[in-house]
Formats: sequence, C-alpha cells, structure tokens
Amino acid sequence: MRRALPALVVTLLAIALSAPPWRYLIEQSMVWHMAIQMPLLVLAGWWAMRALSHRLTLDWLTPWNRYGLTGFIAALVILAYWMLPLAIDRAVVLPSADLLKLLTLFIAGVLLQHSFACSPAALQLFFVGYLVSMMTWLGSYFITTDLRLCNAYSLETQMQTGWGIAVIGIGLGALWVGHALGWGSRAGIRLQ
Amino acid sequence: MLQTFAASLCALLLGLAVILLATDGGHAFTTEALRRGQVARASQQLPDFNVRDRLDQPDTLLHLLASDGRIRIVDFVYTRCQTVCSSLGSVYQRLQQQLLERGLQDKVGLLTVSFDPANDDAAALQAYAARLRMNPSAWEIVTLASVTDRRRLLDAFGIMIVPAPLGEFEHNAALHIIDPAGRLVRIIGYDVIDQVIDIALATAR
Repeated sequence: MRRALPALVVTLLAIALSAPPWRYLIEQSMVWHMAIQMPLLVLAGWWAMRALSHRLTLDWLTPWNRYGLTGFIAALVILAYWMLPLAIDRAVVLPSADLLKLLTLFIAGVLLQHSFACSPAALQLFFVGYLVSMMTWLGSYFITTDLRLCNAYSLETQMQTGWGIAVIGIGLGALWVGHALGWGSRAGIRLQ
Repeated sequence: MLQTFAASLCALLLGLAVILLATDGGHAFTTEALRRGQVARASQQLPDFNVRDRLDQPDTLLHLLASDGRIRIVDFVYTRCQTVCSSLGSVYQRLQQQLLERGLQDKVGLLTVSFDPANDDAAALQAYAARLRMNPSAWEIVTLASVTDRRRLLDAFGIMIVPAPLGEFEHNAALHIIDPAGRLVRIIGYDVIDQVIDIALATAR
C-alpha cells in the first residue's frame, strides 16, 4: 500500500492531463505536454511496476528480459518516438494518438523498472548515457532553434520545453550516478 | 537468453519500422515536413469555400481559382497580425514585384486568404491591400465568408493556429501552389522562397 498509493496518484495525475478539464494545459503549452505529462507517465509506470513486483513474483518475465535488455531497447524506441515533433503534434490533434501515448509511455516506465532491477551497472550506464545525451541534445536544440518544430505549439513554449527536457535529462543522469555510488541507500555498502 | 534476444530484436525492429513509417522513411520529423512531402508526391484536391473579396463580393474559392487559368501562390493571414503574417506580407510584396518585372502576372497570381472573417471585413482587406500596395492584376485578397468554415479551411491546408503572447496567434506559414483545378500541388517553405515563382511556372506545364 505504501508503494501502490504514489503510483496510483501519479498515474491518475498524468492521465488527467489528457482529459478535460485539464487537457487545455497540454494543448496550450508544450511544457505541460513534454516536460511534465510525458515524464509523469514514465514515472507512473515505474512506480506501478515497483509496487507490483513487491507483491507478485514475476519470474515468467525474467527469461524475456535478461540483463534488462528487452526493456531498455523497447523503452528507448518508445521514448525516441515521442521525441518526434510530428508525434507530439499528432497526440494533440488525434485522441487515438493521445491514448497510444498514455499507454506506451506508461509501459516504457514499467519496462524500465523491471530492466533496472535485473541489469548490471555497465548496461545501465549504457542506457542512461544514451538517454541523457538524447535529452540534452534535444533540449539544447529546442532552446536554440528559431524553427517552430510543432505546429501545435508556439516557439516560446518550445524553448521553455527545451530547458525542461535538458534539466530532466541531467537530473536523471545525476540520480543514476548517485544511486550507483550508493548515496542514500544500502547499495553502496555492497560496492565497498 | 534466446528468448531475450528474440524479444529485443522484435522490439528494435518493430520500433524502427514504426518510426520509419511515421517519418516518411526518416525524411520528415515535423508535421510540416511530412505534409510538404505528401503534397509534393501527389497533389491534393481542395474542398470549396465561400469567400468575399475586398469589394465585399461573394465568390467561391474554386471558382476564383478556375476563373482565369492562372497558377496561384496562396498564403493565409489575418490582417491584425504583427508577426508571421507581416513577414509573409513583405515576401508577397517582393513576389509581386518579381511577377510584374518579368511580366508573368497573367501566368502566376498571388492570392492572400484571411482566416479571420470576424475582423477582416471588406474595409480591413482594403486597408491591408493599401498598406502592402497590392496590385490587383498580380495579387488578390479574399476572406472566408463564414467563421464556421475556418476549421475546415485550415485542415484542408494543414495549418494549425496557436495562441501566442500579446493576443497574437502563431501559425505555420508557408506558400501553397494551387493549380486552376483547385489542386494543392506544392507547399513551399521560406527556405526556397526565391524559387517559388519558377516552381509555380514549372507546375503549370
């Protein structure tokens, strides 16, 4: 219950942003869409999986996701797709694309949690390194370009989103490094 | 390990296929680029709309396009606009000058369409025409007759309008080359604006 509650809250929050009365937020601002809702969906999937794997043993999944490889690859592909400006436009205009976004990003979170739990640090580094460089590159591109990449959003919110994505990317990288070094957990003792 | 290998490979291939499909084989990453590619490959018949010209005369878009057999270069504005439309305005001034200098105004015509009929009445269109020194033989302006057609018009041309600060709107601005039969033949971006007249002439043949 201690783990299920935050997962439920974040899931509901992320989904609520796609429905009235709050949908106008993601329709008007790319920040709410890309830098808030999308990360929340992944986080929701992550926390949901963490809560679930505490209650159930998911042994049947293990042979399909050795070293977390399948999860990393699938999550990378999902995240790459939702970084495409045309995919973002489509999610604003088409309800079916928006539903697909909710599902796939949640699943990406689920897969990532499972993968991180069963993969060696070297493989995690590979994934995290790729993700952080992808996010900081995209962020700096959004910040610096004069091209409006999404028809659905103004140049101003695109720039703000760039900062958001870059900060989240760097934050995730820092979080992983901290975790790998064992700060704030007992994992460090094992490494030493 | 074999199961993981198979699943990873499936995820990778499926993902790449979806991304390639969505981006037109890796050519278009924005909605705008995707649409330009689609139109360039196969021209698209436009639906008809009721419009009014600067003398408040009613007409329909397809009738107007078919009236004299010219290829049109069409852009979309609202005349109160201070940002993207005003740069479109100066682009059109330059194109008008080029058309007149080359004597091409009976082959290629410029057409500006306002999507803001609530504010752009005949007087507003005339003021805009005067401000930009439109020459009616090369450059015409009309406005949608009815606000209710706006959504349909913008969808037909693939234009999205988003509110911007200071009560303005931002929208993807491009030049649309349309033949007399009302087919959208090409969408031209700012990067090749100097060639737009030649591209229009080439599509006429």
